[in-house]
Amino acid sequence: MTACHAENNIPTVGPAQAARGRAMHWLRVERYWEGEFPDVRLKFRPVMCQQCDAAPCEPVCPTYASHHTAEGLNAQVYNRCIGTRYCANACPYNVRFFDFFNPAWPKPLDMQLNPDVSVREVGVMEKCTFCVQRISAAQIDAKAEKRELKDGDVKTACAQACPAKALVFGDLNDPESEVARLSRSPRGSKLLEDLGTLPKVTYLARQGDA
Amino acid sequence: MERRDFIKLTAVTGTTAALTACGNPEHQLIRFVPDDDIVPGIAEWKPSVCPLCRAGCGLTVRVLDADFETTRKGQAGVVAVKAAKKLEGQPAHPVNHGGLCVRGQAAIQLTYHPDRITTPLKRTGPRGSGEFAPIAWDAAIAELVSQLDRLTDRASLACIARPRRSRRLELVAEFLSRFGAPAPIGFETFDDEVLRRANSTMFGRDQLPTFDLARAELVVSFGADFLGTWNSPVSQNAGFGEMRGRRSRGKLVQIESRMSLSGGSADEWIPVNPGTEGVLALGLAHVVSSKSAKPAAALAEYTPAAVEKITGVRAARIERLGGELAERRPAVAMIGGPALAHTNGLFHALAVNTLNVALGAVQQPGGLFFTPELPSLRAGSGALTRPSAALKNLSAQALVLVDDVNPVFGSPRAWHVAEALAKIPFIVSFGSFIDDTSVNADLLLPDHSFLESWTDSLPESGSLELVANAAPPVMRPLHDTRSTPDVLIEVGGKLKTPVALPWKTYDEMLKASFDKLGANAWDGVEKQGGFWSAAPESRITLHESPRIPNPESQIPNFDGDASAYPLHFLPYASQAFNDGSVAHLPWLQELPDPLTSAMWCSWVEINPQTAAAKKIAEGDIVEISSTQGSIRLPAFVSPGIAPNIVAVPVGQGHGVFTQFASGRGANPIAILAPMAEAETGALAWAATRVKIERVGDANRSLILFAGEMRENPHENETR
Amino acid sequence: MARRAVAVLACALAVSLVWACASELSPDSSSVFTPAHRTFGAAARHFFNVHPAAQQPIQFPHKIHLAKEAQCTDCHETVERGPVAGIPSVKTCMICHSQIATDRPLIKEVTSYSEKGIEIPWQRVYGFTHEAHVRFNHAPHIRAKVDCAACHGNLATMTVAERAVDHTMGFCVNCHRQNKAPNDCLTCHF
Repeated sequence: MTACHAENNIPTVGPAQAARGRAMHWLRVERYWEGEFPDVRLKFRPVMCQQCDAAPCEPVCPTYASHHTAEGLNAQVYNRCIGTRYCANACPYNVRFFDFFNPAWPKPLDMQLNPDVSVREVGVMEKCTFCVQRISAAQIDAKAEKRELKDGDVKTACAQACPAKALVFGDLNDPESEVARLSRSPRGSKLLEDLGTLPKVTYLARQGDA
Repeated sequence: MERRDFIKLTAVTGTTAALTACGNPEHQLIRFVPDDDIVPGIAEWKPSVCPLCRAGCGLTVRVLDADFETTRKGQAGVVAVKAAKKLEGQPAHPVNHGGLCVRGQAAIQLTYHPDRITTPLKRTGPRGSGEFAPIAWDAAIAELVSQLDRLTDRASLACIARPRRSRRLELVAEFLSRFGAPAPIGFETFDDEVLRRANSTMFGRDQLPTFDLARAELVVSFGADFLGTWNSPVSQNAGFGEMRGRRSRGKLVQIESRMSLSGGSADEWIPVNPGTEGVLALGLAHVVSSKSAKPAAALAEYTPAAVEKITGVRAARIERLGGELAERRPAVAMIGGPALAHTNGLFHALAVNTLNVALGAVQQPGGLFFTPELPSLRAGSGALTRPSAALKNLSAQALVLVDDVNPVFGSPRAWHVAEALAKIPFIVSFGSFIDDTSVNADLLLPDHSFLESWTDSLPESGSLELVANAAPPVMRPLHDTRSTPDVLIEVGGKLKTPVALPWKTYDEMLKASFDKLGANAWDGVEKQGGFWSAAPESRITLHESPRIPNPESQIPNFDGDASAYPLHFLPYASQAFNDGSVAHLPWLQELPDPLTSAMWCSWVEINPQTAAAKKIAEGDIVEISSTQGSIRLPAFVSPGIAPNIVAVPVGQGHGVFTQFASGRGANPIAILAPMAEAETGALAWAATRVKIERVGDANRSLILFAGEMRENPHENETR
Repeated sequence: MARRAVAVLACALAVSLVWACASELSPDSSSVFTPAHRTFGAAARHFFNVHPAAQQPIQFPHKIHLAKEAQCTDCHETVERGPVAGIPSVKTCMICHSQIATDRPLIKEVTSYSEKGIEIPWQRVYGFTHEAHVRFNHAPHIRAKVDCAACHGNLATMTVAERAVDHTMGFCVNCHRQNKAPNDCLTCHF
């Protein structure tokens, strides 16, 4: 989660705002408890923007700041955003965050900021972009080297940091990619699938649960 | 502006250097000519080593240009510098295989922290007042030299440091040794010394173990949060991830009374009476052994029925799990954390080692190994002084050097470290921050941050290969700080009776060390941050038959009468802060705890029945009292904890520790009773009993990320 | 009567606004980095799209250097490989001017900055406001053989760089459309 903050210039809101539910964790880990002591079980679930193909956040945006790109990402264009927050209202996964204040970094913490990513100001919505800056950079590099992007060229910050390699990112349209292969697994399911949002993130259930 | 309200800014406040808008900017700071050739916008990747815990993960650091506001020759201005921007794990490193834990990711904030000590400081007010004034390095070094020269008894110089194997620590130890002072006091709150003793006894290795989880079929962890904070977490995560990703997915059984991060990922979670883990291990070994050709006679008394009486785990379960261990191979057991922090911790560690021998797990695929170790560069032994004894005698010392440790915070009040420090005539601190310990210093000589200096570590576990980490600085020092080993070398040379260390600089020592490893070993330092190679199978002296620990030490002791103090107290290493040494990093304060989603606060985890009995609801303020004192914090009602235990994460509760951590939350270590493990003298931090009382309504001090529109932490999922 | 009062007030407000914009402000000593505007004047200027022309400390003659067959990339080095063209350091100037034309008064000024270890305080001519959230990357444009002059004007005719081309979004999008370059919002705004 901190890898995401470091990569994407996510502001640290502080205890007062965090207490008001305004902490901005583009990626969060949820926990689902089963049973009661002593027969307790726990499941962790990392949740980020699902980049839904039928995203409910897109039709409600009055300025086209939230829209779907041809590559399948749900784009959040900060300079179009006027801060109605309707997209967050519509999002069933609760993965959209609003900048209620101008973020602040006591110097020299700002030296860590990633120049490849915008620093958002007050009044705009932000959310996980699947590290679009890394996707864009990889595409530019591939074009410069006159080749196609291959599986593994782009790693989102979260997938790169995860010590257990629990997160896998890639091109769903490439049937040979690891992510396409894993998404076809019978263990796979999607979050809130019945809402019809067509999310793109597939969650693989634990095998052989006793 | 109030320091903590750093977010409440409206449309008009300060902004940064000129390049944000074209034309006539608001202000233009003088721009100094850079020291390096700056290539704007193009990243370099440089190797480094993470210093935060003893795992010694290899880093690769993204370095880009950034503007740094500084003053030169009395003029305020800005200069472009090569700055670290992001830390990533190094893909080929034998310990972390490209991964990095959350604390390692946040470590970059150590370099850019607004409250770093930026120049040497001398105390101007009373001890502990935090009043310091800057002094120049020459004056600071002269002061230290003069204080050292003044010591009539050279053995009254003491140094407290982290007991992490590294050449840096060897340099410090060599300085002390040649000065005539005792070995450094190795202080680390969660050190697992007990496990080292058990491994030394049974395997001839005074070392923490390394596990080949990737090939294990069945893993039983006795209290070790091996995916969270214990031993070499990233390496263990990598192995565990492989274990789960295989076709024949391995099984994890976690035995503990409070669900840890690792317990959350377990297939089977078994609570056990605190301090009886070793008995359970021997019970399982009994079952395994009884199914073998020659059952061990020494294990005969550990029948499932007998073990049930002591541990609270049902006999049928012990039979079944023992049966699985006998059949499903490779199987391996590990023990760490709370299970060792009892007065009979060594018993448990030896018991688990016995189980591993019965499982045939020692130095077998899927089992227990030891990372090849490098011999010390020093002539004498590398042993450090045990903190439990030495810190009690601290007040007898005349001069104490504190090398970036915080024993005032990290040890129980009952050890009286603060009082001992008060009596010491002169205290020097090398850390980069003013914390509960360094606020008492007379002289602060700030070290560089790890990205700004040579850094090294010799991981004692987490790798099957030999690993020697060392890396050059990734960026120039931002402030007027100096590398501590180099400061010691300089001080040594200036003493009346000089301490002549065999190396002129710290990196010279590192080079000498690497040259011993091989002709091209030093190239590895510049290229990848260290040298690693497959090493010949390391020696283990194994005893023929399992060494059964003394049954008399089966039952632990606890502080506090069971009727007055009915609950066991468990302070645990938190995922965000580990032992609290990184509580001052804002990213970690805002990180939702994996088990509770709590941020920026302390909490106590209480079982629902226990909470109901005391009429405690989530968020209510609870007072926890031991025989040593009490702390107050909000309650978190958790299904994953036994009714007779309450657990508090370690990390908050600093009195002094930068704007982000000072005066925040409560420190559970403070109220621990000074219980010690019987054989090693290590702090038995799970041996304190407490009582709890509801003292107030919920007052928003429990800050959770979950809840409301996000997942309800208390809703049961039955899908 | 009331209307005049309002007019007077409006004038006063406008005057103070202009005054706020025009006043020289002291160097930034804020201890916090934030995307907020530092003063009301700055915010107002941004709102009204006021971008005064750059005032350079030294009248750097692009045309003289280009006439001497210098390439753009000799000083703006990284433009082929990375996102930033950059304003070169005085160290770059001194590579040649430690020996060339050292008797000229302007070169002496340049040298004096270099000796003091201070960069020449160039003012940026081309750029985007922070709030435009543009992540412009030079390298793909150079690789696509877009001429520097297409976006920066014919510098062979200029001394200091002038804002010869107005970098509106329409300017960028038109060229992208004509040259079949990606036109998605996320191409530039992220």
